[in-house]
Amino acid sequence: MSGKAARPKPAQTGESKVSFFPAWCKRCGNCVAFCPRGALKRDQWGYPVLADPDRCTSCGLCEMLCPDFALSVGEAGPKPAGAGAPRGSRVAPTTSPERLAPEPNGGEEDGNG
Amino acid sequence: MPPVHRSVVYDWLRHDKKFPHVWCPGCGLGILLGSLLRALVESGLDKNQVVLVSGIGCSGRLPVYVDVGSVHTTHGRALTFATGIKLAKPELKVITVMGDGDATAIGGNHLIHAARRNLDITAIIVNNQTYGMTGGQYSPTTPLGAKATTAPYGHIEPSFDISALSATAGAAFVARSTVYHVTQLDQLLGQAIAKPGFGVVEVLSPCHTNFGRQNRLGSQVDMMKEFKRKGMRVERWRELPEGRRAESIPLGVLVDRDLPVFGQSYDRICDAASRRGEAGK
Repeated sequence: MSGKAARPKPAQTGESKVSFFPAWCKRCGNCVAFCPRGALKRDQWGYPVLADPDRCTSCGLCEMLCPDFALSVGEAGPKPAGAGAPRGSRVAPTTSPERLAPEPNGGEEDGNG
Repeated sequence: MPPVHRSVVYDWLRHDKKFPHVWCPGCGLGILLGSLLRALVESGLDKNQVVLVSGIGCSGRLPVYVDVGSVHTTHGRALTFATGIKLAKPELKVITVMGDGDATAIGGNHLIHAARRNLDITAIIVNNQTYGMTGGQYSPTTPLGAKATTAPYGHIEPSFDISALSATAGAAFVARSTVYHVTQLDQLLGQAIAKPGFGVVEVLSPCHTNFGRQNRLGSQVDMMKEFKRKGMRVERWRELPEGRRAESIPLGVLVDRDLPVFGQSYDRICDAASRRGEAGK
């Protein structure tokens, strides 16, 4: 079985391939918890950041496991829709950092609260 | 169809709805919504060909966010409204989204008879093992012994297996996945949408707010890791010895069979009846 060896190497561009839309983010932590390469970390507010861009392989798992459509991987990400956009036009999360107050325990969820 | 980029979901969300959506942080319904939109686009369907029907509960909010024809119906009756839509407009692709309580308790009768009738409808049943929206009361899928608002000492009834129930009732396609196994979920939803006849996709989803909190299962990340640990391809699961099967959850296509589809049978009967009517004139 050479299935694993045949996988493409991660792109070593060093550029951020993940776009975050904090206004839609609820800081659930799915993206950070399930990134297979551990490239994402939480910042002091609990929001995800691409802490290690070299480790990101653009697999897109964080985008698919994000329940809030609050991040997108790759160049073909969402484009903003203009004001008064007609029905059927593209919905885009705003990228303005409308951040919520910092979480008291540093963004770590205990889940039993 | 060339592969579509994941960001196509932003084209299918309703731009006049308020985002972020109403679900709790980390809720699996958001993951399912993205998965369903990708499956619809991959199927090559146009927005005007699709109707989403939902009942009541957290899952009832899902079609509201999608830019297709959608109906948010009464509790448990999503399949009855869907039946009417499909019979009136057979060219439409009708998809219902229901929760476990919606589909198997309040609408349990409709589920088994829709499966028996084998109408060309896709039923997505989101199983979070509780009534999440109303505060965590036990549902027909709450496991034996699990705690719930209405079962503080542990649930004393055995639970339904939604997939087995649908298969026994006669559905043409039955599949199960979880919101953690999201690439598999994309594929299964696509297969269910393409399948002529009644297709059921049971989607296991964490309700960490109510079910998880009351049963000390941790955050939604912990609950999804549990799905990852327990989930097993059904082909592998069938090879397990009988005694070890309960430890794992079989995922994938459980039933895929060709059965007479109600719409086609109905058209044949209509033709036969109209021919006899003309001959009698």
